[in-house]
Amino acid sequence: MARKAASATRWLKLLGLLLGALAAPAWSAEGAVDFDARIIRMVLPQEPPQLDSSKATDQVSTRILGHVMEALTRFDAQGRLVPGVAERWEIRADGATFWLREDARWSDGSPVLARDFVFSWRNAVDPKTASEYAFILQGIENAEAISQGEAPVDSLGVSAPEPRRLEVRFSRAIAYFDKLVAFATFYPLKEDFYRARDGRYGADAEDMLFNGPFVIERWDHGARLEMAKNPHYWDRDKIYLNRIEFPYITADTNAALNLFKDGRIILAGLDSETMENALDQRWRIERFNDGSAWYIEFNHREGRLTQNWNLRRALALSFDTYELINRVIGTPGNLPGLSLYPSYLRGAEQRLLQEIPPPEPVTDWALARSHLAAAREDLGLAEAPELVLLTGNSPTANKQAEFLQTLWKEALGLTVRIDRQIFKQRLAKMTSGDFDLVAAGWGPDYLDPLTFGDLFASWNLNNRGRYANAELDACVRTAQNSVDAAVRVDAFGCIQRILLEDHAIIPTYERGQIYVIHPAVKGTIRRQTSPDPDLSRAWLEQP
Amino acid sequence: MSTYEPTAADFAPLDAQSAAPVLVRPSLSYWADARARLGRNPRAMGSLFLLLALGLFTTLGPVLWTVDPSAQNLDRISEPPNLGADALLIDRGQRWAGVVVSGWPAAPDPAWLAQADRPELPAPEALRTVATPHTWSVRLRWDPVANAAGYQIYRNRYEPKALNELGLPLGDSWSGAETSYEDALALEPGVYWYSVTATDGERESRQFQTLRVEVARALPLETARKAGLLADGQGQPGDQITLPAHPLGTDYLGRDMLSRLMHGARTSLFIGLLAPLLYVLFGTTYGAIAGFFGGRIDALLMRLADFVVALPFLLFMILFRVASGVEAGESGITAILVAMILLLWPATARLVRGQILQIREEGYVQAARLLGAPQRYLIFRHMIPNTLGVILVTLTFAIPTAIFTEAFLSFIGMGVAPPTPSWGSMCFEGLKSMLNSPHELFFPALMISLTVLAFNLLGDGLRDALDARMRARE
Repeated sequence: MARKAASATRWLKLLGLLLGALAAPAWSAEGAVDFDARIIRMVLPQEPPQLDSSKATDQVSTRILGHVMEALTRFDAQGRLVPGVAERWEIRADGATFWLREDARWSDGSPVLARDFVFSWRNAVDPKTASEYAFILQGIENAEAISQGEAPVDSLGVSAPEPRRLEVRFSRAIAYFDKLVAFATFYPLKEDFYRARDGRYGADAEDMLFNGPFVIERWDHGARLEMAKNPHYWDRDKIYLNRIEFPYITADTNAALNLFKDGRIILAGLDSETMENALDQRWRIERFNDGSAWYIEFNHREGRLTQNWNLRRALALSFDTYELINRVIGTPGNLPGLSLYPSYLRGAEQRLLQEIPPPEPVTDWALARSHLAAAREDLGLAEAPELVLLTGNSPTANKQAEFLQTLWKEALGLTVRIDRQIFKQRLAKMTSGDFDLVAAGWGPDYLDPLTFGDLFASWNLNNRGRYANAELDACVRTAQNSVDAAVRVDAFGCIQRILLEDHAIIPTYERGQIYVIHPAVKGTIRRQTSPDPDLSRAWLEQP
Repeated sequence: MSTYEPTAADFAPLDAQSAAPVLVRPSLSYWADARARLGRNPRAMGSLFLLLALGLFTTLGPVLWTVDPSAQNLDRISEPPNLGADALLIDRGQRWAGVVVSGWPAAPDPAWLAQADRPELPAPEALRTVATPHTWSVRLRWDPVANAAGYQIYRNRYEPKALNELGLPLGDSWSGAETSYEDALALEPGVYWYSVTATDGERESRQFQTLRVEVARALPLETARKAGLLADGQGQPGDQITLPAHPLGTDYLGRDMLSRLMHGARTSLFIGLLAPLLYVLFGTTYGAIAGFFGGRIDALLMRLADFVVALPFLLFMILFRVASGVEAGESGITAILVAMILLLWPATARLVRGQILQIREEGYVQAARLLGAPQRYLIFRHMIPNTLGVILVTLTFAIPTAIFTEAFLSFIGMGVAPPTPSWGSMCFEGLKSMLNSPHELFFPALMISLTVLAFNLLGDGLRDALDARMRARE
């Protein structure tokens, strides 16, 4: 009996220890902001696969890289292009020149020189690197040939005639090259450091060199990532924060919201469900346009019913984008899908869509029915055809697909089958053309309308419906090759007109997102391209 | 050898032998006894009636409640249970072009903007509604603010007292001269508080102007005609109309929950009853054969059962779906049924086999066998009644499992294809909006729970009633 009691006490002690161990981190847990030490804490949706800028493709990697690296140019809080490593630059029809600033340094104290960019860009197009973003350098002389292995890597049209002068030669004019170089693939890489790491560059904090406002100080894979202010950064006086820490890595938005509620992180996204909760908590809700444009893409391959213009027009005429954003999606910030181009893109002088206003979308069921009748006559169909709508598996995608299914049943008597797939499978089906309609979206790589404008060029591999139109192709070529802003805007207008008149796609909406942020954190930048959210120039204000 | 010759005295009646009354009751057959004992079990009878009611709900329900389960009504999304409401008839007409103050500058004066210590912009004055605010549109306008580059519009359900209570950021206007906004975002009847702030393009002002707006429920004429609420040519904008009732509310696309529950029951009960019945029947036969014959047949049959147990259910489910040519977006109900029957029988087979092996060696079976009872008699008289308890327990566990399996498969897109409802898929859809509109999850979950509970209780009662061994205890 006594022995039994003794062992029970031992177990209790052990249990106590265990509970203590579990509870201890909770007591010492860090808050979302530390005013004295100038620290903010956030959640990362996932672990970055690796942080080699020439190979980075995902949003998390480019978001981290955006804080620790600096390109030749960058975008400020208002979305204006401002100097980065380059002090000034010049874009010509046949090339570009960048003059680098004297005080730009790597985190080891050595200067950032033009040859670091030359090495980085060559590395990105090198077929041995196998970068998925090699295509973004297309337009620089020989880039295409090198990535296909038909030319030596050092024949890339980029050179460093002086330590701080970078010369770029184009194979076609790239009017937006100054905006393009802000993209992650164009960050510099220091050759000797990169080579010394022997393929491990970007795999760990110590296997990287930084030239941005922050450096990665600690990276516990799968658990934690911490950034500290870079003492060698040239513009360090403008950087207020000492540290940005990511103590949590989770993609669960509910978990993130709970962390926000507990005061552990400064920012959390909201959806239609958690939105009401945030209102009740009296949190200030913020909104931003995440940059992506969403549309229904038709399959234009031979033998598909959706090749028929009357059928496409019937489907487009029965759809109402306002109904979708206001009554189906139901979160603020989404804008009506009027065009392929999102509203924030800039044209020659003002917003692109002010210069080439898209027609107000028409919803007319009676007209839609007459086009469906014409389509059935064209196609020789006795009954209304059955179509397959390929869609993603997220709740929002599902809601929209069911809305469209019922809409087309009601308006046109069409039977639409919903093919719900996970992202990879959906992409595979889109590539192989196994669909009639697909709900697709596109986010910009760089802030020029061309990132959307060339989507439906016959040669673009992202043109999953294989839409081919010689006139549109010609306009895309014009937009690609011209440096004249007005000519390009005209070309973008031509692309928009053809896509809408020919009903190659049905624009559905422009996505907006809502989020909550700690009231003391100021200067957070949300933008359409990476890095988003950008906190490199954020500051704290005691309430 | 002598023979006995009967005499007349042998045929004379006997005298009464005892004064005690003879106690005789009609022979009670096995089934009659079971029925009587079931009848005395109130829980089991209650469950039985509940299940009968459920049967009526699915079969007779849709005849009486003729609402289309897949008819969307985006006007009435996620409504709690209600008995109809009055709505204002409206003419949707053209979209509102908005108000642009002519001659007013779109952007602030650059010289003003260049001041580092420029004052904060004042809140826009005279915030007011244009036309009657209703659930299809709330039109707001206000007076322009000097040096504004645009305005931000917010909406809340309660009156904002501070900046953090402005509520949902609805949208913005991109010009100082654009002084209007039309809100149509998921409006519900009731009171809203709209707030407007001005921004100079770089900084948003902290001064805000608030307006209380009472939003009336509205219905466009064309929608009312399409839904059959109005005859053609009848009704005018401004008239009141009574909307149909939704006794159990609506879901996230405004579909009637009651009707969806009725139709969803068909899928759920079809799978939930048919699959277990079929595979329990098969498993019982299989296990009985193995147990009864024993020896080599038993070994062979049970190894096959072991093999089937080792097959991963989900993987085979997907394979069946592909092999049976079910395409994406088509209902995979038959594939689920076949897969469940083919893969889930071994558990029953094992249980029944064990039971039969045990009963085979019981004294009364041996006795019957010695008396020359045929195998048929042994099986139907002794084996089956004695294993019924086990079989029924398996069945009562199998039915809820089957309902849940269907629910799960519908969720991952391998079950029913939208818009066909099933309780499981309704639960998973309801889960997403559990906090805001709990009725979307509650009702299908309640139906599943009630069904499962009823089957369990009924199974319990049946087991007690059918257990031959329980007879002796009375």
